[in-house]
Amino acid sequence: MRNLEKNMFTKEALALAWQYFLPPYTFQIRVGALYLLYGLYNTQLCQPKQKIRVALKDWDEVLKFQQDLINAQHFDAAYIFRKLRLDKAFHFTAMPKLLSYRMKKKIQRAEVTEEFKDPNDRVMKLITSDVLEEMLNVHDHYQNMKHIISGDKSNPDKALSLIKDDFFDNIKNIVLEHQQWHKDRKNPSLKSKVKDGEEKREGNSQESERCERAESLARIKSKAFSVVVQASKSRRHRQVKLDSSDSDSASGQGQIKATRKKRNKETLKSAGRKMSSKNRDNMQNVHKEDKSLRLSMPVITEEEEDNESFSETEFTAPKRKRKSRTKNLV
Amino acid sequence: MAEGTRIGPTCHGMGSRQDPVSSSGSCNFPEYELPELNTRAFYVGAFGELWRGRLRGEGDLSLKEPQASALPGSQGVAEWGQEDAAVARDLGCSLEAAAELRAVCGLDKLKCLEAGEDPEVIPEDTDLVTLGVRKRLLEQREETITIDRVCRQETFAYEMESHAIGKKPENPADMVEEGELILSVNILYPVIFHKHKEHKPYQTMLVLGSQKLTELRDSICCVSDLQIGGEFSNTPDQAPEHISKGDCEHVVVITDIRLVHRDDCLDRTLYPLLIKKHWLWTRKCFVCKMYTARWVTNNDSFAPEDPCFFCDVCFRMLHYDSEGNKLGEFLAYPYVDPGTFN
Repeated sequence: MRNLEKNMFTKEALALAWQYFLPPYTFQIRVGALYLLYGLYNTQLCQPKQKIRVALKDWDEVLKFQQDLINAQHFDAAYIFRKLRLDKAFHFTAMPKLLSYRMKKKIQRAEVTEEFKDPNDRVMKLITSDVLEEMLNVHDHYQNMKHIISGDKSNPDKALSLIKDDFFDNIKNIVLEHQQWHKDRKNPSLKSKVKDGEEKREGNSQESERCERAESLARIKSKAFSVVVQASKSRRHRQVKLDSSDSDSASGQGQIKATRKKRNKETLKSAGRKMSSKNRDNMQNVHKEDKSLRLSMPVITEEEEDNESFSETEFTAPKRKRKSRTKNLV
Repeated sequence: MAEGTRIGPTCHGMGSRQDPVSSSGSCNFPEYELPELNTRAFYVGAFGELWRGRLRGEGDLSLKEPQASALPGSQGVAEWGQEDAAVARDLGCSLEAAAELRAVCGLDKLKCLEAGEDPEVIPEDTDLVTLGVRKRLLEQREETITIDRVCRQETFAYEMESHAIGKKPENPADMVEEGELILSVNILYPVIFHKHKEHKPYQTMLVLGSQKLTELRDSICCVSDLQIGGEFSNTPDQAPEHISKGDCEHVVVITDIRLVHRDDCLDRTLYPLLIKKHWLWTRKCFVCKMYTARWVTNNDSFAPEDPCFFCDVCFRMLHYDSEGNKLGEFLAYPYVDPGTFN
């Protein structure tokens, strides 16, 4: 490669990789970008080496990232950053790119790869784990107060019953569901393999989108028709029977069976529909592990929901909990 | 003022050391006013202070040559031990971990070619998209018998960009200081050709933050310094080579400001340093098409076009007889081609 070309190419390559090293990209992507910068810088053929430009306004972010790496004991990433700095691989600049006067009206906007970013999740921003913790504290405190000032210490007065007792659990579950939905929507092919060795239902991620969409639609429809509602007493003679002529091979009868051992009932909008006591337990479990692409938000029912409490609430835990009838916290 | 960063009004030099303005309106953290086009005004000197305050002198700002032991492959076991200890201290890991990091993250791990393999040869079984593209390009060149060779202009541009890199002064007093700022400045040519409407040609100079604006001005080499006024058709021998003339306005755009690095030119006396020039095609004589034009005529009965350009020899041959008497009617002006400075 010619000398001038080498210089220009290396500058471009480093500038491109640098973009991914800064927020709003996810932690993983940023570490990947760091490795990319390390590789590009050290294997370039320019003599002397082209440098990595870092603007003043970004340096604090960079240092913060370095500290995060050390705190999380990602020593390899911290090591290569340290090496780059020791090798004086950086140019400390005012702005990331050279400014240039352009007559063109259209300025090319830098394309940001959306899937590398943390999703802009307003729900998660509003209801953070701090907020939830605070809520739990306040809730507990409130309940305690009610107990204290009531005549019967074990049961607060009925007159004090002003909120739903399971308010906190509900919010937490809703938020967890939302998070799960986001994850599944974003990474249909990155679902972690379950340890008891079952195969993925969706095959590989190279399946065409159209195929997945079609399948999802079919699944939703089959679920809609597979939940049998007990007719009220006055209409007993018109009990709905489940017809198993559904052509969708993915649907089971009565329930959608994942190849997992979990029960996996889907519920639909319950407005005006009475659910049998059996169904009620699973209303909040809108599992999405067996769907690759979710087309709509999970449906949150209005009925009283389970009072299952989760002693450990992890929002970013990488492991799945293996309790029966519990939600998957991923 | 055209796009680019504007220097604060009270600076005497390009980047005088001022106290960072904290409470007044202007910010010292450079940021975009119009994204990718220009920034808000900021004080260059204060900007330098902000950077220097965030960096470690020995580590980041030093301009010293890298020590021999820092070069890969030249270290012995004892030096490895020292380095591991430093790594362990900086990262908060154990010595064993540091040694392992050195092995696992070493530069040799970045190479993918085996010894003796030629990087020019593209392996058959590759699925890298870039290699596929390169392969097609190479095949196409073979088919069309195209030879990829660097042209003069590119060699020239590369030379300009890199000729002063790493230069050290003979006199140590002329050494650029640590923490000095380097500004990249584009100086637009005043020449107005139609083909330059979209993309004006310019020179790029590197200026030190501690230098004065006057030094920058003096270093600008402009062809209008050398323009000649006056009509000399009757007295061609009296036309001067050139006349110095002042008063030319140039648009100056600051495109970059950064801290000096050990690989930069470290000889103060070479700054402001020219690193890029627009290559201008010189206008050639209309007759011989070989020599650069030195005369331009108007209302010329001998010339097929108006204005018309001639080199000195052809000009005289066409317009004057063997005794030097003027033939025909014409107006003649000495001409200095902008490309004279290539």
